[in-house]
Amino acid sequence: MNHYLSLILFLPLAGALLLLFVPKQNDDAIRWIANIVAGLGFVLSIPLWFWFNPQDPAFQFVERAPWIPSIGADYFLGVDGLSTLLILLTTLMGSIAVLSSWTAITERVKEYYVFLLVLQTGMLGAFMALDFLLFFLFWELMLVPMYFLIGIWGSANRLYSAIKFFLYTLAGSVVMLLGILALYFYNHSQTGVYSFDVTLFHTLNLPENLQWWLFLAFFLGFAIKVPMFPFHTWLPDAHTDAPTAGSVILAAVMLKMGTYGFLRFSLPILPEASRAFVPMMVVLCIIGIVYGALVALAQKDWKRLVAYSSVSHMAMVMLGMFALNPVGITGSIIQQLNHGISTGALFLLVGVVYERRHTREISEYGGLSKVMPAYAAVFLLMTMSSIGLPTLNGFIGELLILQGVFVANKIWAAFAASGVVLGAAYMLYLYQRTMFGKVDNPKNEHLADLGPREFATFAPLIALAIWIGLYPAPFLRRLDTSVQHIIARVSPQYNERAASAECVSVPTPELMAASPGGQFLAAAPCGPDGKPLTPAAAGAASAVPPPVPAATTGQVSSPQAAAQGAR
Amino acid sequence: MISAYIPIAIFVVVATGFAIFTLVFTSLIHPEKYNKVKLEPYECGIEPATDARDRYSIRYYLIAMLFVIFDVETVFMFPWAVIFDQLLLFGLIEMMVFIFILVVGYYYAWQKGALEWV
Amino acid sequence: MPPGISLSDFYYILPEIVLTAGALVLLVVDARLPRGSRALTWVTMAVLLATAVSLVPFRNTDVEVSQGLLAVDQFALFFKVVFLVAAAMTVLMSERYLQVEGASFGEYYFLILCSTLGMMIMAGSIDLISAFVGLETMAVSFYILAGFIKPNQRSNEAAVKYFLLGAFSLGILLYGMSILYGVSGTTNLRTMATVFVGHERNPLLVLAVILVVAGMEFKIAAVPFHMWAPDVYEGAPTPVTAFLSVGSKAASFAMLLRIFVEGLPSMDADWRLLFEMLAIVTMTVGNVAALTQSNLKRMLAYSSIAHAGYLLIGVVAGTPRGISAMLIYLLIYSFMQLGAFAVIVMMRRKDVVGDELKDLSGLYHRQPFAAFAMLVFMLSLGGIPPTAGFMGKLWLFGAAIDAGYVWLAVIGVLNSAVSLYYYLRIVVFMYLKKETIGSEPTLSPALTLTLGVAVAATLVLGVYPGLLFDLAEASARTLGASGVTAAIR
Repeated sequence: MNHYLSLILFLPLAGALLLLFVPKQNDDAIRWIANIVAGLGFVLSIPLWFWFNPQDPAFQFVERAPWIPSIGADYFLGVDGLSTLLILLTTLMGSIAVLSSWTAITERVKEYYVFLLVLQTGMLGAFMALDFLLFFLFWELMLVPMYFLIGIWGSANRLYSAIKFFLYTLAGSVVMLLGILALYFYNHSQTGVYSFDVTLFHTLNLPENLQWWLFLAFFLGFAIKVPMFPFHTWLPDAHTDAPTAGSVILAAVMLKMGTYGFLRFSLPILPEASRAFVPMMVVLCIIGIVYGALVALAQKDWKRLVAYSSVSHMAMVMLGMFALNPVGITGSIIQQLNHGISTGALFLLVGVVYERRHTREISEYGGLSKVMPAYAAVFLLMTMSSIGLPTLNGFIGELLILQGVFVANKIWAAFAASGVVLGAAYMLYLYQRTMFGKVDNPKNEHLADLGPREFATFAPLIALAIWIGLYPAPFLRRLDTSVQHIIARVSPQYNERAASAECVSVPTPELMAASPGGQFLAAAPCGPDGKPLTPAAAGAASAVPPPVPAATTGQVSSPQAAAQGAR
Repeated sequence: MISAYIPIAIFVVVATGFAIFTLVFTSLIHPEKYNKVKLEPYECGIEPATDARDRYSIRYYLIAMLFVIFDVETVFMFPWAVIFDQLLLFGLIEMMVFIFILVVGYYYAWQKGALEWV
Repeated sequence: MPPGISLSDFYYILPEIVLTAGALVLLVVDARLPRGSRALTWVTMAVLLATAVSLVPFRNTDVEVSQGLLAVDQFALFFKVVFLVAAAMTVLMSERYLQVEGASFGEYYFLILCSTLGMMIMAGSIDLISAFVGLETMAVSFYILAGFIKPNQRSNEAAVKYFLLGAFSLGILLYGMSILYGVSGTTNLRTMATVFVGHERNPLLVLAVILVVAGMEFKIAAVPFHMWAPDVYEGAPTPVTAFLSVGSKAASFAMLLRIFVEGLPSMDADWRLLFEMLAIVTMTVGNVAALTQSNLKRMLAYSSIAHAGYLLIGVVAGTPRGISAMLIYLLIYSFMQLGAFAVIVMMRRKDVVGDELKDLSGLYHRQPFAAFAMLVFMLSLGGIPPTAGFMGKLWLFGAAIDAGYVWLAVIGVLNSAVSLYYYLRIVVFMYLKKETIGSEPTLSPALTLTLGVAVAATLVLGVYPGLLFDLAEASARTLGASGVTAAIR
């Protein structure tokens, strides 16, 4: 059990190495092997869902071995609720991406699957690593395979898009690397230990000045990946020109790297700076939400539209996160999963028609619901999920985010809500243009409906969308301790109040909808014994010492005041 | 310290000044009359028979270079000889090593045909 | 035996003696063997191996030889290993190239060995005289090597340019050195360091520092003394270019560190400022100029200029960590740079010169291994994990941050992001283009070995660099460990 995470992590890489020994011409064997490896990867990661103990605030399945002893870098893996869910998302989307490529990729098949599997390892590693250097290694490891996926198997403008993707991401991440190094040396000057241990960094109290610079450095790395408003320009190009599986992975998993980075590193390591930068982040998020949605509304290219919807949705995720309260952050994480599911599915859906017609022009389509009824049904479901229709997953995430943001600032919430409305507009407009009306393009008259393999790629996503929409509690429960840990660092006032308030077992939407204003937010989740789970208790259980309340917090009466005071 | 260099400075100034003065002064007073003989290059009183830029065999250069190399090495032997009474056996061995290296080079040049006059 | 010389001195310079003797043996063997015999390659390799073996007894020594002409310490040892590795890889990739060009082996290998000897002396010298002798030994060998392909005009042009500018820079360097001698009354760097304490404001010393910096900058091809590099790198025979860009650069950095860290630690405010500015300019100019190149060798020349800039960051930091980062980077750089040049050597066929970017087109379909190797080298040069180049850059920039030069590190990383653009262009041609030029490029066993070693080293050091880090750390600590430098640190 000790090497469970390593097993999940290196299985795709082993598969890639295995593929290297398969003769090039043997396309079908290569496809089978890749699918089996990816499927096995998903199956292997399923126990993570069950074995993960939501009550234990410490990192679980920890593996630790010296890696570069002279500089204190370790091979240090471990997961909490946040990374567990993202790892499961990654293995699922990875296997779906592999499965969806069966007929779409016909040339240089071997390299394609090798790159996809290497990419998978890179993404999993980034989610698992608790050593900052190791994290960075995996973070950069993702770039090269993705570059090739876009550059070799992409569409018309692929070279440009590939290099743009690469350089943008790289420029951000190298600055982040400097931030990591600065943190590393500061940590040494304080503790006398050379280490890249993230859990150790979570306990550091950095001077405000340094925090600011580090936040900016991390911000550049993560914000480009998310992507946040001024840094988003690589995304439409990369998405549009990537092959279907590439877009799916990019949207469903790689964008989550950015948000994961904020949650795992920026917020807990740099709490004061995170609070101080809330206004900047919120403004960028709001611009991103509205701008992304408006641009999506104007798109003529199906895939580009979905790409811009990603910009808008991810801005929403970031906004929820920077409400800096438990509900907002929980919603932000849930919405990340939702975005992975729905946007991943939307890209797959574009891929299906692209494979048949080799065009993504929306005007080329129309009336597809008559020709491809099953396709139209799946598309409808995913559109609804993306819009945030109740009973589907998008609703839960958006509701939690809006609630969190509302508590923090009502005006922000108004802007965020406008994003939801605009989201409905561009998605329904897209649906109308492509699915309804007459089949006026003769080329569309005899399109084949979803085949069994294609349907198999959508089935798990549909199931998940409905599951999260109807019964999100298992997901929320797994996030409790992670969110608590982040909140304890970045907004400790919630935990101070938790001492006096009653605890809430799980922040279900019903409960939140019932609680007026921010009342619910004051309550902390329950620990295993039914008492409120405070970070102090958490600290006793884990190696993480209780965080020191920040200087800015006094007796804060409301979250709004807290957010104001932090500024 | 600096004052020790004053004589040198004076010398430099005087020398330069004399040269400049001579050049300027003569150019002012001399008559300008040229003829064919005056413009010819002076070569030991004999009229040049052919153009000076003639082509030599490349072998000249090769031999000349080899000569220069081995000739210059000899220069090292003079100071060595002067203090040989202090260096004694050590010095002898050192010089043998030095000459041995030269001999290897010489041998190489020889074997490669650098000394053959084709 | 005259005073000041003992037999043990000869014991400590055993590696240099072995190398010299080996070079002489090579000459004799070459004279006896028929022209074009490939046995010479293996004789050369044997000489290099013997030299490497003779380094073994000195892995823990730290002594001064011949009244402080040379130091035999771990710092020198580290560099000597780098030189020997670089020389061995150069020799391996040279055979094919010389065959295609129809040049003779004997003098070529002899000159490679001579330049290696010069480098080894440079790395060990703690005296201006011996450092200069080493530098000259190396430089003269390279002047000839650069013009080794006699019928090739470009090669001739490279040799002349390199010779003229090299001689010019040596003049400047010597001028600086003579001032240092004039002020201190000694040529020994360690003695000099103690003499100069308290004379930081002496204008003559400042002038000397500037001159020596300028002279050394020529040798490491740093902006604004880099103009010779692209022309020489392009024109010189490809393996020579490889060796020039690795060995000569590493040796010059070793000498530079000896002079400034051991000899002029009290002047560090001056030379740090100079190197800081030069590092910024060098990185930026090198990378920006490389962006537009279409000739591979020119591109790598500019990239190597940029790398000199990165390495200067370590000098600026000046801490043991900075110096160890330089050592790490130089070793890693040797592997990736030599590997990249080995691929260009492979591209040289009878019908294709193979040093244009478009010649690489479709390489992946013709030589997958070479293309993969080149991919690894390009990513490593650009500093992308999990290649060794990343670890090297990580530690260089880390040293800069640790020493408080955050802006230098910021400019460094932004530059390495820019550099990825042109490294990726090479990848684009190899992997994403299909049309091919000329006959099929083939790998000889020696080339395969070179590429294999370089790829393996680049990847292994990228994933597991622990041992190298330890070694470099220990080596860097021996530099100026005693005396003034240590006191100032």
